[in-house]
Amino acid sequence: MTAQALNKIRVLELTTAVAGPVAGCVLADMGAEVIKIESPGGRSSRSPGAPLPVEGAPDHPYNRTPFFNELHRGKKLLSLDLKHPDGKDIFVRLVKNADVVMENFSPKIVGRLGIDYAELKKIKTDIICVSMPAFGKTGPYESRASYGPGIDAMSGLSHLTGYPDRGPGKPAQFYCDQNAGLTAALTVMGAIRHRNRTGQGQYIELAMLEGEMQLIAPALMEVMMNSRSPNRIGNKHERFAPQGVYKCKGENEWVAITVRTDLEWQSLAELIGNSELANDPRFSDLRARKTHHDDIDKLIESWTSTVTQEQAENIIQAAGIPAGALLNLNEAFTHQQFLHRNTLVHVEHPEMGTFPHTRTAWISRNKNDGVAGPAPTFGNANSYVLTDLLNFSAEDQQKLKDRKVVSDTPLD
Amino acid sequence: MADHVNNTKHGAILEGIRIADLTTGSFNYAGRLLAGLGAEVIKLETLGGDPLRQWGPFRNDEENVETGGRHLHLDAGKQSVSVDLETSEGQMVVKDIIDHCDIVLESFDPGYLDTVGLSFESLITSKTDLIMVSMSHFGQSGPYRNYHGSEIVDVAIGGYLRLTGDPEREPVKPYDDLVIQHTSLHAATAAMVGIMHRDNTGEGDWFDVAAIDAALFLIGGPTQSYFFNGKVAQRNGNRLLFTEPQYLYPSTIRPCLDGYVHAHGNNRNQDLLAVLMPDMGLETLFETPMGNADEIDEIMDVWLSTRDKFEVVKLAQELRLPFTEVLTPDEILKDPHLEERNFLVNLEHPLEPDLLQPGHAALMSETPWINRRAPLIGEDTDEILEKLLGMNADERAQLRNKGVIR
Repeated sequence: MTAQALNKIRVLELTTAVAGPVAGCVLADMGAEVIKIESPGGRSSRSPGAPLPVEGAPDHPYNRTPFFNELHRGKKLLSLDLKHPDGKDIFVRLVKNADVVMENFSPKIVGRLGIDYAELKKIKTDIICVSMPAFGKTGPYESRASYGPGIDAMSGLSHLTGYPDRGPGKPAQFYCDQNAGLTAALTVMGAIRHRNRTGQGQYIELAMLEGEMQLIAPALMEVMMNSRSPNRIGNKHERFAPQGVYKCKGENEWVAITVRTDLEWQSLAELIGNSELANDPRFSDLRARKTHHDDIDKLIESWTSTVTQEQAENIIQAAGIPAGALLNLNEAFTHQQFLHRNTLVHVEHPEMGTFPHTRTAWISRNKNDGVAGPAPTFGNANSYVLTDLLNFSAEDQQKLKDRKVVSDTPLD
Repeated sequence: MADHVNNTKHGAILEGIRIADLTTGSFNYAGRLLAGLGAEVIKLETLGGDPLRQWGPFRNDEENVETGGRHLHLDAGKQSVSVDLETSEGQMVVKDIIDHCDIVLESFDPGYLDTVGLSFESLITSKTDLIMVSMSHFGQSGPYRNYHGSEIVDVAIGGYLRLTGDPEREPVKPYDDLVIQHTSLHAATAAMVGIMHRDNTGEGDWFDVAAIDAALFLIGGPTQSYFFNGKVAQRNGNRLLFTEPQYLYPSTIRPCLDGYVHAHGNNRNQDLLAVLMPDMGLETLFETPMGNADEIDEIMDVWLSTRDKFEVVKLAQELRLPFTEVLTPDEILKDPHLEERNFLVNLEHPLEPDLLQPGHAALMSETPWINRRAPLIGEDTDEILEKLLGMNADERAQLRNKGVIR
């Protein structure tokens, strides 16, 4: 049983890259029927990323690309050429039967395809449209091309992430994509509620840059308040000290530690050294510990390097201090807390067998959580859309395939 | 108070939804988002104020619980009721307020609310369709329930920290409270899911949101690759985590004449990079771009070293190469794009009248995004206790004298 919160809501997703697909995943996970429309060419939205090896799988490598599968779980897939007049006609008929149309093409492409809000509203007056442009539909950067990491760069996140003694850095994965995707899901649900109450649809413009700037606010305020433009502080914390990532015994083992109070420092000091250290005036309060942070780091590491990262985590946690082993992905897969929470949900894919997806970060008492289902195989909803939703005859469907408007396998 | 809203015919999306916000730190972003969508968000904070208020930046570095930058941003659009939850009368006040709310947001250590009589189970005895969203580092149950968390610890256990930084250096955390703020976005989304569910069924719900889950969610694709081919993704500096030689490159950050640029190939036409940087030998490297990343970097660095970032990006974008400038905070404030879009707003806080801060997270054509300044500690205590709970001036004075409210 999957979530029912968005039961009977139909979403048409015309998306590329990451942010739009993430939004569609979340809506699908919450019970919406999400129909992703993919060009019959198909390949461009499925690269980059080599197909994963699966023993005994059909020879459909395009159904085994990890990024695509991660980003489209729980959806249906219609392969439709929107540039063809017959394809556009099918799209128009679908819009009449949909609640939400979501896109994250560049503004230029949206105009060329004739799928902007003004056009779609003529087809269905209460339609909800969502755009996720990188920088917005107005302003000097409107027409700029960018993927997630380029937006991270312009938001200040790259400048602020990384080592103080090196250049700007990249967070593990791009923040602005998932951030924009979740924000889109949030506002789409809000717009559905507004429509249910008033009968009015609307257009949502979600500039990925502006979503990300919500995180950068403190750095901007520092400039305005104190005429200082902040730089990277690495693993340190502005309000707590010490904080860091410390080398442990064994190859490539690390533990992260945050000391939040003087009391916690005394506990840690006793744990890693002796009571002399706990009473050392150089480290007595936050200001002192920030001044001598590098000295403290060496003392901590001389202790952590004698234990494994799991031991370090256990011992320091037992003293009431935040500490965590740096898990590799393979370790996260089997970690007891993730297993307890079912954070990785195993679903069965028709060509790849059963494998895990990371659900959204919540568990709900009423089962409004989890993962809706596997990623779709190429064109798996062609027949559903053409036969069940739009009543095309078998003959007309064949014509559409002959004209390459619809396809059951990728054409390029 | 100045309301900055766009001109629209209708009220905000969450007009009529009332929220009790008992969160702290960057978990406050959930309530800020829902206030932006028009919910009435009542921040319930201790007499000394939410500790978030002690986290700057502060003007001239002078700490002031009313004007900390994070508080002004993350509490924008909220009201404040200041009440001591450690007193039985304070607990009654909070319970009465929650009885008049649709949603509770909280981020206490799991189990704390049980000790003050405000667990989900006890709250739903009087407010049967309550939507409660509990945020924590590790979750409300399970072996790590009582572990102590922080941003860096959450990203460590969530697998994210090990993937950030240079391969030959220690892992390095992402900026600030990135994952906790992302957790709060999941929480706001969960609250909206709860509203949809309640609209459909009349039932409430309890959402258990964990920061370690949000960290893992942010990683995406590499989790699946590991499952199938056993390759454990490792931090890869500013390059992507997928390292097959055929993988797209560049997607990285490189130095230029006056700073740094984000350099990115065109996914559909890798050769365009050689058009931007002609006659330098790039053409021969695109069969296996990621495999040749070091060589591509060397060539790009030579070309970039004589050009400033704005020139580089202009030339690249003309070719549809998605390069961008790596901007610093002071450069962002001078950015003409954000200015033209009125993104940064002055919310006219009486003690910070000249400060700009981020406004809308989304723009909607028919419903407003609400930007209103953050409240002073206890600014709305009297009004809410009077209007919502029907408490008269004498009763409020008594509570105040006993140190229950402020």
